[in-house]
Amino acid sequence: MYRIRLHGRGGQGIKTAGRMLGSAFFLSGWEVQDATVYGAERRGAPVYAYVRADHGPIHERGVIRDPDLVAVVDESLVGIPSAGVLQGLAGRGLLFILSTTPAALWQQRLNLPDRVLTLAPPAGAPPIGTLCVGAAARLTGVIDEAALVAAIRQELAGMPAAVVERNLDWARRAYAELAPHAGRVVEGGSGTAVGYAAPDWVDLPLEPAETAAPAIHAALTSLRVPTGLWRTLRPVIDYDRCNRCWWVCSEYCPDGAITVAADGTPRIDYEHCKGCLICVAQCPPHAISAIPETEATNP
Amino acid sequence: MNETAFKRLKDLPSQRLLGTGTPLCAGCGGLEALHQIYDILGGRSVFVNAAGCMTLLAVYPFTPFRGAWLYTAMAGAPAGAQGVRDALDLLLAKGRLPPAEDLTVVALTGDGVAYGMGLSATSSAIERGLDFLYIVYDNEGYGNTGQQYSEATPLGAKTATSLRGFAGRKKDLFAIWTAHRPAYAATVIGAEPLDLARKLEKALSLKGPRLLLALAPCPTGWDFDPKDTVEVGRLAVRTGVWPLKEYVDGKVTHTRLPHPRLPVEDYLRTQGRFRHLFEPVRDEALLARIQAQVDDYWAGVT
Repeated sequence: MYRIRLHGRGGQGIKTAGRMLGSAFFLSGWEVQDATVYGAERRGAPVYAYVRADHGPIHERGVIRDPDLVAVVDESLVGIPSAGVLQGLAGRGLLFILSTTPAALWQQRLNLPDRVLTLAPPAGAPPIGTLCVGAAARLTGVIDEAALVAAIRQELAGMPAAVVERNLDWARRAYAELAPHAGRVVEGGSGTAVGYAAPDWVDLPLEPAETAAPAIHAALTSLRVPTGLWRTLRPVIDYDRCNRCWWVCSEYCPDGAITVAADGTPRIDYEHCKGCLICVAQCPPHAISAIPETEATNP
Repeated sequence: MNETAFKRLKDLPSQRLLGTGTPLCAGCGGLEALHQIYDILGGRSVFVNAAGCMTLLAVYPFTPFRGAWLYTAMAGAPAGAQGVRDALDLLLAKGRLPPAEDLTVVALTGDGVAYGMGLSATSSAIERGLDFLYIVYDNEGYGNTGQQYSEATPLGAKTATSLRGFAGRKKDLFAIWTAHRPAYAATVIGAEPLDLARKLEKALSLKGPRLLLALAPCPTGWDFDPKDTVEVGRLAVRTGVWPLKEYVDGKVTHTRLPHPRLPVEDYLRTQGRFRHLFEPVRDEALLARIQAQVDDYWAGVT
């Protein structure tokens, strides 16, 4: 049985990617189970989907704890323990990351020699689930391009034609790029209910309330969460055009990430700005513009 | 009220009191209204937060609040607020809490709770005359679980559970509240911060059950670009879809009379949840019904 997990952030098409990969397996003659792990469904939150594919009926249930392949759309998740990207990768299993950082460096960082593959997103492509679907399909070596394309068309039915074509293009590219690694993913054994060990890491022992629902005794601790990592576009203030009205950008910023000095000069807190760009849209003299995060020099 | 401290936009607080680093979506219209409220209200408050998007605000060990925050089940926020208020009153009565250190008790919930699940507890809390401020972030659906329709979902809106557009109509929570004769009730929106500040100021000057009902444009659930949150909110007001009004001393006053009132289409077009009204063919009948609902409302406003 193949056991594959897809990790990304809300908005990157992880749920759809899981369905695409599941359908691609199904159209290739496999029995399939795919599901998204539901939690707080919001943009930017770590989310994952998983796919099981086997030659016969699948009786295994629940999240995959012993993956053959983990595909990651958003590389910033690898270092976030609660995202659980590395869960179950200690023994075997392949890790695929959409990243411009070389695979060798990831292997060294994560101590997973020979078990990390990367793909730099093609020019113009956002970090999106479809790229991981193309990659995962090739890495299994059991899904041909026709099945991949048919699955994507099926799951994107009802979307505008341009969106479908764009996603097909990305999936095909990832599929082509990973041709040298076709079949790298090795099927794990087919589990049976009899021999199935309960996953110990989902056990939630009954704890005293002060442990299970602990109180926070400090104020403003959320400042320690670097939500600036969510950003793909960065708002930049042109102080020559800024008329120091202060209240517009700072008042409308949902996150309060724009502070104002006594003389009315606004400053964007890039550690926390999530990149919604409301300030860019609302600034009366158009003094704020957006640049790709990758082109930004740090403040 | 002439004695407002908020005469012009520059009178709004320039200090941001709610912390950054919350896990709410980029461009969240609810968080925008909440930070505007918190900038004025400050940390001398206890927030009693029913389950919803905003319970993600404080996830151990992180909190954006300077003051207290408590998490309750969906229908339990007004009851939780009652408990906190009673405890504070007892401490005050016993002299263990100096009057100067009293705290404002705030219930914070989404529309799923405010319009539906928590309405019974709310009704009773108002009836008991509970001294609390109830803040609703109304994003017209169960946003935290993928935008299923709620009792605040408007006619025609596509949600995860109304794929062809919601067939019902949005419940009038403001009218339900005012029928209870509370101390204060108002509708607000983050896109109109001055109007919001004046209403909060008035609410804080009163005692008893008080409502601030904020429409919360939701990029994720309503399907629009996060940068457009303020513009969508502004259009909700200018098309008359979201009337800004307040109830005090038994009288409802509209604080903005949209003039000229733009066609509702201008608002609907900004959001993917209404796209099916325009593509592939215009649904003239439904568009006319939505416009008629808004027209009917304003026909009754004198």
